[in-house]
Amino acid sequence: MGILLIGMSHKTSPLAIRERLSLSCENSGHPLERLRQMPSVREALYLATCNRVEVLVCTPDQAEREAGEGLKALLAERAKITLSELERCLYAFSDAEAVRHLFRVASSLDSLVMGEAQILGQVKEAYRVAVEQKATGMMLNRILHHAFQAAKRVRTETGIADNAVSVGFAAVELAKKIFGRLEGKAILLVGAGEMSELAARHLLKQGISTIFVANRTYARAEEIAGLFEGTAVSLEQIPEVLKKVDIAISSTGAPDYVLTREMVASALHRRKNRFLFLIDIAVPRDIEPSAGEIDNVYLYNIDHLQELVDENRHLREREAAKAEIILEEEIQNHLDWISSLEVVPTIVRFREKIEGIMKAELEKSASWRQALSESDQNHVESLVSSVVNKILHEPTACLREESRNRNGLAYAAALRRLFKLEK
Amino acid sequence: MTPFLFKAAFCAYLLSTLGYVTSILGKRVRIARASLWLMSAAFGFHSLFLLFRIVERGHIPILGYHEVLNLFAWIMAGIFIFFQFRTRTVVLGAFVSPVVLLMMIYASRGIGSVAVMPAVLKGTLVPVHVLLSLTGEALFALASCAGAMYLLQDHFLKRKKARRVSSILPSLGDLDRINHLCLLWGFPLLTLGVLMGAFWARVVWGSSWQWDPKQVWTLAVWGTYAVLLHQRLAIGWKGHKTAVFSLLAFLFFLTAFLVGKNLFPTIHRFV
Repeated sequence: MGILLIGMSHKTSPLAIRERLSLSCENSGHPLERLRQMPSVREALYLATCNRVEVLVCTPDQAEREAGEGLKALLAERAKITLSELERCLYAFSDAEAVRHLFRVASSLDSLVMGEAQILGQVKEAYRVAVEQKATGMMLNRILHHAFQAAKRVRTETGIADNAVSVGFAAVELAKKIFGRLEGKAILLVGAGEMSELAARHLLKQGISTIFVANRTYARAEEIAGLFEGTAVSLEQIPEVLKKVDIAISSTGAPDYVLTREMVASALHRRKNRFLFLIDIAVPRDIEPSAGEIDNVYLYNIDHLQELVDENRHLREREAAKAEIILEEEIQNHLDWISSLEVVPTIVRFREKIEGIMKAELEKSASWRQALSESDQNHVESLVSSVVNKILHEPTACLREESRNRNGLAYAAALRRLFKLEK
Repeated sequence: MTPFLFKAAFCAYLLSTLGYVTSILGKRVRIARASLWLMSAAFGFHSLFLLFRIVERGHIPILGYHEVLNLFAWIMAGIFIFFQFRTRTVVLGAFVSPVVLLMMIYASRGIGSVAVMPAVLKGTLVPVHVLLSLTGEALFALASCAGAMYLLQDHFLKRKKARRVSSILPSLGDLDRINHLCLLWGFPLLTLGVLMGAFWARVVWGSSWQWDPKQVWTLAVWGTYAVLLHQRLAIGWKGHKTAVFSLLAFLFFLTAFLVGKNLFPTIHRFV
């Protein structure tokens, strides 16, 4: 039995090809159906996200090559490109390397943003679909469960997912450090811009329900407010709105300060000193820097946020080294399991074969053994069987012992070769 | 049984303190959570110890500094654990548990001694006076712990050092909430406690007020907290200012307590 994984990721292939392999294009049914029909595939899993496509299959012995060709043909067909075009973007791993790759993917070590949490959910979903379609069996079930376990260990034992690595998430994390819970808080968006809208979106996901949008042109404010189901206000109303909101994100193209220290101080007084979190994404800056010196006001500009993100990225990379060690351990566990899986049937077949020989020889000798007395006949039989058992004992014991470490597979293969145990 | 329970509580407090310190240094919230369980176990042993002690001696252990600080530690730990149901401030334990442990260390030096209850303290009002005042003061102690941690977190956030240490500390909102709740409950409890004391003084000493040093500094501390609560509720002080003020107020209380205890004679001393 062999394990084969072929796939492509953001590192090896352009989006144009990956998107054609995504599941949303229901061009020719779910690929699992096709995979299951292949004679060289026993078990299969198909994972497609926006950043990667992975096909993991379990093949019968000696069928790896055939399976590999089949998978490539299937992918080329689905992506509507030639085989040679496809092969340039593909990677292929087998056995231990395939397991290692899957473990790294599930633990988010291979992700574009290392440590992101989504990929594990996506792998789980792909597995759920495969189970539903009865495409998995003992091998893949075990590999996947092991991969989930490894990913969980990586998440809990390392800090790989601890710190925000995007400006939007950094803003959310800071807001949580200031307010604790974000439910029921209100935000003000001044000006429009991709980054400020993204930050607002992240904050809204945390349960913030009220949003005000201010803009130089009121119509644009209304437009953006419509996107978030918020309230549009004019720039002149900002001092008034500042009394009601807890977080303000500013990203206008204005040359002067939109929020002055005085404005913030007076708003803070009227809001009874409730915390105010100001995020200034604009260049040149929108919020007077000295506003951040006021008690209970926390002012972050784009550089502060970026610095935070950079440092967190760096921290994640450091944690990734720890994660690799954990994965190494988990991969080892899995390989041990596989090797024990291979060794046990080999031992059984080995015994069966030798005992078969013994029985056949005894039968052949039945004619001359008739001349012996019954007790002597028994003696001969027990003599032969005890010799056979003595001979079998050492190699089987040794094989069992070796199955506990990595050499088991090699010994089992040697034994199969030496005694012609293959069926 | 009682010495064993005290030792068990002491060891559990010690372990939880070590755990909390490790969690802050190692920046792991999970260790802090485990330490909270240890602290809860310690609180359980401590409660049993007090129960056995009351049954043994027939009165609440409030004689002398050893017993009073022991009670203070118990109340403070209890309130902190209670707050865990209402706020996400598990790491605050890193500031609370050492305080509790210090009091337990002091208490351990005299916990076995047997003192005779003086006649002047024989009355149901006395334990009520002590319990109310101690609870009020324990709440103030917690407010100051929360204030100290608030200032630390505030420093990190203001200086844009919201990195790893900051990420494990509780949020400003939660710390301020603890400060608020502590003042809101602590002040009326201390007020009631002082009134009970004054009432009892009138019964046994003939007058509510003796110009005793302890009475004077208690009144001063009470006044400080009255001002703080007023600023908080009426003026709208919040966050940074209340954190600083509650830390200073508690330091004042501590200084007054230590100076009063060591330098001035007082009639409010019974053992």
